Amino acid sequence: MKQSRSINFVSHIILVFYALLVIYPLFFVISSSFKNNSEIFDDPWGMPMSFSFDNYIEAMSNSHIDSYFINSLYISSISTFATILLSTTIAYAVTRMKFHTLSKGVYSLLLLSLLIPPASLLIPLYKMINDFGIYDTPLALIIPYSAFGIPLTVFVIAAFLKSIPLELEEAGVMDGLNTYGLLFRIVIPLTLPTLVTVFILNFIGNWNEFVMANLFISNEASRTLPVAVKSFVDQYNMNYGALTAAITISIIPVILIYSFLQKKIIEGVTAGSVKG
Amino acid sequence: MNKIQRNLVAFAIFVVPALALYITFYLVPLFNSLQYSVTEWNGINEPVYTGLDNFQKAMGDEKFWVAFWNNIYFVLFSVFIQVPVIVVVSIMISSVRRMLDFYKLTVFLPSILSTASVGVIWQFIYAPDAGLLNQLLRSVGLESWAKIWLGDKTTAMFSILITNGWQWTGFYIVLVLAAIFSIPKEMLEAGEIDGAVGWKKAWLLTIPLIRPVIVVTMLLSITGAMKAMDIVMIMTNGGPFHSTEVMATYMYKQAYSLSDFGYANAIAIIITIFTAILALVYHVINKRTEVDY
Repeated sequence: MKQSRSINFVSHIILVFYALLVIYPLFFVISSSFKNNSEIFDDPWGMPMSFSFDNYIEAMSNSHIDSYFINSLYISSISTFATILLSTTIAYAVTRMKFHTLSKGVYSLLLLSLLIPPASLLIPLYKMINDFGIYDTPLALIIPYSAFGIPLTVFVIAAFLKSIPLELEEAGVMDGLNTYGLLFRIVIPLTLPTLVTVFILNFIGNWNEFVMANLFISNEASRTLPVAVKSFVDQYNMNYGALTAAITISIIPVILIYSFLQKKIIEGVTAGSVKG
Repeated sequence: MNKIQRNLVAFAIFVVPALALYITFYLVPLFNSLQYSVTEWNGINEPVYTGLDNFQKAMGDEKFWVAFWNNIYFVLFSVFIQVPVIVVVSIMISSVRRMLDFYKLTVFLPSILSTASVGVIWQFIYAPDAGLLNQLLRSVGLESWAKIWLGDKTTAMFSILITNGWQWTGFYIVLVLAAIFSIPKEMLEAGEIDGAVGWKKAWLLTIPLIRPVIVVTMLLSITGAMKAMDIVMIMTNGGPFHSTEVMATYMYKQAYSLSDFGYANAIAIIITIFTAILALVYHVINKRTEVDY
């Protein structure tokens, strides 16, 4: 018993150290955003002497961060909705409808995606986006994001559907529902918690995506937040105050959403990876 | 029931849109990439067929090999450093009773931040003068250890690996924790009665029982390591002197800085083959060492 108590103590020390390692860099960025530049250089570790919002005023006035925020929100939400809708119907079809050979084929085709790293598809995708005439428009991100979310989302929803019994649907058939009715009246309501978790999972992925956002959008006004954050580094150069303010503005919503939805988010991650 | 669910039109309506999108964005580009990889093409003129020239070029291209090895470092770092840390920290978190939720939520936090924010935040940490790391080293009298972390060929890659680890370790810890908590209590209690406590319990009981999730974690972190190009683009863009280039960023530069689209596509194909081989090798090793309990 004694031995396990001392192990517990050592564990706490290591875990607190780990937690500090995570929190401190974030604390540093947030506290720097309230300091002036000389204070940041002279005393990077300390709390700000006087809380000043000057950096925020500067960051808000010339960075257009609000419009990047709206771009990100718009692009991420639409593509996430599209992914969920398309994945739910396909998952329902392959797990519930009676076309076993076809379903198996579709499912194996989707499994192939696990072997293809999206980074290796960038160049032909870029050409395709150009050929479709959607380069530099929100669709240049909405369509690929919707597509790239499909495989994993289908795996998670299909895994869940396999675990719910058929009886409810049989009852639905008694009540005269057809296959569409079964999907919308019975299966989707039952799957709602899972849909919420995959929604969050996809949304975070789209919200944070950098490489395609950087390559498929070139005009400043249509930029998404991650690309903007990267560009602030060049824009503000050594003006750490304004830069940290801009970064704080970009991470605060994520941290807020996380603190409200942490359970759902963590559940989503676990479902996505353990069952996928 | 069977009759209702044997509606081919409905099946097509449900499957075709998603499948078409998937094929258009996964399989068609892969096929295009294969086609262009055997050509000389500047992105504007008609591609000219050159056989396997681009692949031969890669084999003799020193910078490509630097990028290749950096991908390997990414994988090795994940498998031999990150995964053990993940397992040990998960077991620690699962065994402490107090503050469990606090630890879990905190370690997970970096993985929901964008790689862009994480990369920029770590640029502050690694900055030569005002950077937190050098400030810390100076304040404890290790001034000689202070470096231009991201500007020095010998430290830049490792600095990126640390940042990548910072971002993703917590994500996997949460996965492993979920598996640990799903182990039936009776199993662990039975083990404790038999004398398995502390680290002995972890080694003999917990780790074998969560083996499947460790396997998933390894596989995800290997494929994750092959995907990591955003963090390199944000932190160093492959520099200094190509020392932090990974295959994907090198491919990107061949295409968009040098307009050598044939060669860039050949690198894309090499990345795909390499990822598939890694996944298969891992699968085989894992099957071979599987033990029944």
